[in-house]
Amino acid sequence: MSEYLLEVKNLCKTFPIKGGLLGREVGAVRAVNEVSFKIKKGETLGLVGESGCGKTTLGRSILRLIEPTSGEVLFKGKDIVNYSPSEMRAIRRKMQIIFQDPYASLNPRMTIGDILSEPMDIHELHTGKEERKARLLKLLSQVQLPPDALNKYPHEFSGGQRQRICIARALAVEPEFIVCDEPVSALDVSVQAQVVNLLMDLQKELGLTYLFIAHDLKVVEYISNRVAVMYLGNMVEVAESSELYGDAKHPYTKALFSAIPHPTTEGRHDRIILEGDIPSPMNPPKGCHFNPRCWNAKDVCRETFPTQTHHSDTHMYRCYNPISK
Amino acid sequence: MAEKILEVKDLVVEFKTDRGTIKAVNGVNFDVFKGKTVGIVGESGSGKSVSALAIMGLIPSPPGRVASGQILFNGKSLVNMEPSEMRKIRGNKIAMIFQEPMTSLNPVFTIGNQIEEVIELHQPQLSKKERTAKAVDMLRLVGIPSPESRVNEYPHQLSGGMRQRVMIAIALSCEPDILIADEPTTALDVTIQAQILELMKKLQKELGMGIILITHDLGVVAETCDSVAVMYCGQIVEAADVKTLFNHPRHPYTKGLMNSIPSFDSTSGRKKERLQTIEGMVPSLFDLPKGCNFQDRCSKVTEQCRGSHGEPTLRDLDSGHLAACFNPLN
Repeated sequence: MSEYLLEVKNLCKTFPIKGGLLGREVGAVRAVNEVSFKIKKGETLGLVGESGCGKTTLGRSILRLIEPTSGEVLFKGKDIVNYSPSEMRAIRRKMQIIFQDPYASLNPRMTIGDILSEPMDIHELHTGKEERKARLLKLLSQVQLPPDALNKYPHEFSGGQRQRICIARALAVEPEFIVCDEPVSALDVSVQAQVVNLLMDLQKELGLTYLFIAHDLKVVEYISNRVAVMYLGNMVEVAESSELYGDAKHPYTKALFSAIPHPTTEGRHDRIILEGDIPSPMNPPKGCHFNPRCWNAKDVCRETFPTQTHHSDTHMYRCYNPISK
Repeated sequence: MAEKILEVKDLVVEFKTDRGTIKAVNGVNFDVFKGKTVGIVGESGSGKSVSALAIMGLIPSPPGRVASGQILFNGKSLVNMEPSEMRKIRGNKIAMIFQEPMTSLNPVFTIGNQIEEVIELHQPQLSKKERTAKAVDMLRLVGIPSPESRVNEYPHQLSGGMRQRVMIAIALSCEPDILIADEPTTALDVTIQAQILELMKKLQKELGMGIILITHDLGVVAETCDSVAVMYCGQIVEAADVKTLFNHPRHPYTKGLMNSIPSFDSTSGRKKERLQTIEGMVPSLFDLPKGCNFQDRCSKVTEQCRGSHGEPTLRDLDSGHLAACFNPLN
């Protein structure tokens, strides 16, 4: 077994576009395009990018909540893409997901006790009611919720508390890997910090591995060991989070970081304002997908898609004219 | 000192509900000056948007009503103004842009139509041709490429950032004195947010309007506002000019908000410290504690804060730096 818990190789997801009277396929959206990366055990890989860049599709394809079109997902060295449904169910115990919207991802008619018991029942993780109850209480204390929450319904909780319930539900099956899909985006800042701290504490305590998807760069940079930047379905840069902020090679990464408003009035920094919008993924520009918005674009950028350049062992980028420090 | 164009005095907005009457906005004061931006920050439910709606005369009534207080626009009271008179001000002198550019445009009309509608209402002397020309001008002003053809497009043909630009174009088409921007960039990506904020700043300089910027993002406030009011549970807990507030927050809540944002600090050798959080959560407006509303989450709470001395009121701590706190930070 390799040191990597998860290895993704050339993962692609293409959605067909149907049109016309007969609903024939008239085109395709490459939501995720030849993405490869590895995550070590106990590590957090952050995944950032603007809306529509394929972050969520990538996260879900890894868990096969969306079936990938091609590529491999190696979990502990085994390719799970061709697993049968029953094999998949077994492996899902080890791979969980936390969704963005804590209001929509809990069944309003189930009590918190039922919501948390369901995954344990499915995976037969307890021997009886007694043990189940004990585990439920332990879960609640892990996410810092009071024990009387078990008999309550989701509407009785605030957004932050609901997100804690979602985290508890993911933890119920003792996973090793969790995809956190924008887990704090819907929360207020003061509550956001509480949930971020909780996720980091749990990681330390249980040795969890995270793929942390978010568009809030500050949170991602804070929680992640490494950060990957996506643009129009491609991974354009991956690096250690501190390195990425200080020494971004790809112009898009640089622009993305410079666009964040800082809560300080001292030393307002030079902002790179990108022109235009993200092109439609149905019809990406030729060459580097970023070339119409890039101030460094040269002829070669408009012709061929850039290959991966390895700046160091941990720093990869796809750009012909990287920014020098 | 710039000219004061809007004055909000002791504004109280109440909503009747099945569980009793709540004060969504409880005694709020602030001023808007020509050419300046005032930021209102706070978490969900703190009364930011309701304050804005009260200024626009858009509080849904019933169940809501402006229970007391004054809103003076160039010295004229907007509270209880005749609807016909209010219509002349709303959209014309005071305009508003909303958070959701996806839902605030009508999907069955072209964007040109929607801009022209506003111009037609408020500047009836213009002919159809002039209106169209003006709509195209407005789109050009907000930086939409090839406005002549875009003017005939429908909202679904535009991206989120473009739609927000159209919203701004509509709001500015009558050259308002005041623009209320309620979370104008919250639904947008950071790169687009930077574009929109830049645009608003540029237009403010050109047109000299006062802006009320409502947001929960302290970063946005720091970069765009001249003065800031921090709201909590319907009240302003701290107000100051932007530099003072960010350099020396005096209210524990403001400080807590600032600490809970992870900061980029690539120079200092980390590993980064744990995020400081504000414990607990915002109390329900149905069940506010006696005394200071922030007491249960505050690290500096004393007996005084628990109601023995009444509620803390906004007081001047240091030449125009206001805070509602018995034990302000130094």
